[in-house]
Amino acid sequence: MFAGTLVYAIVNSFTLILLAIGFNLTFGISGVANFAYGALYVLSAYLSWMMMNLLGLPFFPSVILSILATTLFGALMYRLVLLRVRGQALSEVIATFGIGLSILELFRYLGFVGFEYTLPVFFDHSFIIAGTYIDMQRISIVVLGFLLVVLLWLFTHHTSTGLAFRGIAQDERTALTFGIDSDWIATLSVSLGAGLAAIAATIIIPLGSISPSEGYDVLIKALAVCIIGGLGSTGGVIAAGFFIGFAERFTDTYFGSHWTMIVSLIAILIVLVIKPSGLFGQQKELEERI
Amino acid sequence: MSTDNIIEIHKLTKVFGGVTAVFELDCTIKRGELLGIIGPNGSGKTTLVNLMTGFVKPTSGKILCNGKNITRMAAHKIIQLGIARTFQMVRPFYQLPAFKNMIIPLYSPRVKQMLGGRYGDRDAVALDLLEEVGFERDAYVAYKPAGALPQGYLKRLELAKAIALQPELIILDELFSGLSLAEVASIVPIIEKLRQKGKTIVMIEHRLKELFRIADRIMVLNFGCKIAQGTAEEVMASEEVKNAYLGSER
Ligand SMILES: Nc1ncnc2c1ncn2[C@@H]1O[C@H](COP(=O)(O)OP(=O)(O)OP(=O)(O)O)[C@@H](O)[C@H]1O
Ligand SMILES: [Mg+2]
Repeated sequence: MFAGTLVYAIVNSFTLILLAIGFNLTFGISGVANFAYGALYVLSAYLSWMMMNLLGLPFFPSVILSILATTLFGALMYRLVLLRVRGQALSEVIATFGIGLSILELFRYLGFVGFEYTLPVFFDHSFIIAGTYIDMQRISIVVLGFLLVVLLWLFTHHTSTGLAFRGIAQDERTALTFGIDSDWIATLSVSLGAGLAAIAATIIIPLGSISPSEGYDVLIKALAVCIIGGLGSTGGVIAAGFFIGFAERFTDTYFGSHWTMIVSLIAILIVLVIKPSGLFGQQKELEERI
Repeated sequence: MSTDNIIEIHKLTKVFGGVTAVFELDCTIKRGELLGIIGPNGSGKTTLVNLMTGFVKPTSGKILCNGKNITRMAAHKIIQLGIARTFQMVRPFYQLPAFKNMIIPLYSPRVKQMLGGRYGDRDAVALDLLEEVGFERDAYVAYKPAGALPQGYLKRLELAKAIALQPELIILDELFSGLSLAEVASIVPIIEKLRQKGKTIVMIEHRLKELFRIADRIMVLNFGCKIAQGTAEEVMASEEVKNAYLGSER
């Protein structure tokens, strides 16, 4: 039982990391808390579903197109709406939450609810690892989650755009003196975050179904992971993903699933009481030193 | 437009709410000169820097760079024209090691434009630049996070970041403040070397003695207005300047 729980805890951790990484990227770079994040996740899944089931396109073109469309939607959301309220955190939250709400409730209104709304698994196959059944989709979550984290790290450390991202994240005014266009970088960060939400949906949705309420769930999970990790920190997302991921699965197995929510929330509270800025939260003292 | 002026400022005014930080200022900066700007606290020196570098948009007036109107140009575009600046309150990337602070400017559009794709090993270039401003080679300091560096090194880092951008004009906002005499003495040769390379330099300073030794020309601001300009002796002889400095000791 322990080995099985361990395997599923790892899968759960990578699921949470995939869910949170886009939200975290956007927030870390431009300071925009994108509350439409969950809606973008659901939007991309519905887009893929529609392309496959209404237009009859094959799987890969459909998901690629919907990931690109969601990425573009993120960029437009920034240029058309967020740019106007830039720097006003509350307005940004209200604007993005409003956009998210409209998307999700539109799908609900149009009747896109039911078990038939789902995406296909990549490979229909399963294995036994450590005495536990595990399917290829869950393995894909771990592999792709890991790959995505590595790619993101390489991008932010070894490309000029990635370095510009880090520059803006750490000190916008200094980055401006280097000729980095902060509005353009913020556009990219919101758009890339949206693209990551779409990628996460493509990988995770096949295990369940697409529904408007999924959008709210994803937003809450992403927020929880990012807050525990320390908003904006990639290391924090990974640590918090594992922390919550393990807490949830082990509670399931050893205490029963009705405790899962409570244990996770208590874990969150404990972290925040001990370290209010989150596990990897930035040390404000440093900035205020001089 | 005469080409020996790198910057021409006409009737520049900036009002913040009720405070007039810069008022109808006319000024030119000649190519290759070292212009010192002095004035009591709050006289508008930093605001002038912010106006020239696009961090603050003027209420009225005009700024030309090599004859080109840059009055309302965005900050990130102004550096493309070769105007680099340092901040009075140093602004490094605190979480990054000192030499990594240099990597981001080395990847910047300006450097790409100046040197094309050829830049070799950026880590090595970063360390060279730091050595140029007085970080000891092979010492630990270049690898420490900027947040752990003493003020003297932070000021040098600020200077190195500006130099990395290959600017024509470097504006140094109180580079010497907070430094010991010995530290200032060790930075002066670096500035003199930049001049030999033909850079134009503007220094905002409160450390008058050190500034007067290296500046070609001094401009004095008080309440956002230019009250004197000329050689160090000329401006210090001015009654108005004496009064401004005495007046600031309220
Ligand atoms: N962003 C701002 N908002 C409002 N007022 C400002 C702003 N920046 C500067 N000021 C005001 O403009 C005036 C000039 O300030 P500035 O910083 O340019 O002076 P300074 O000559 O650089 O002074 P110091 O020698 O202390 O650095 C001051 O009265 C200051 O309070
Ligand atoms: Mg100042």
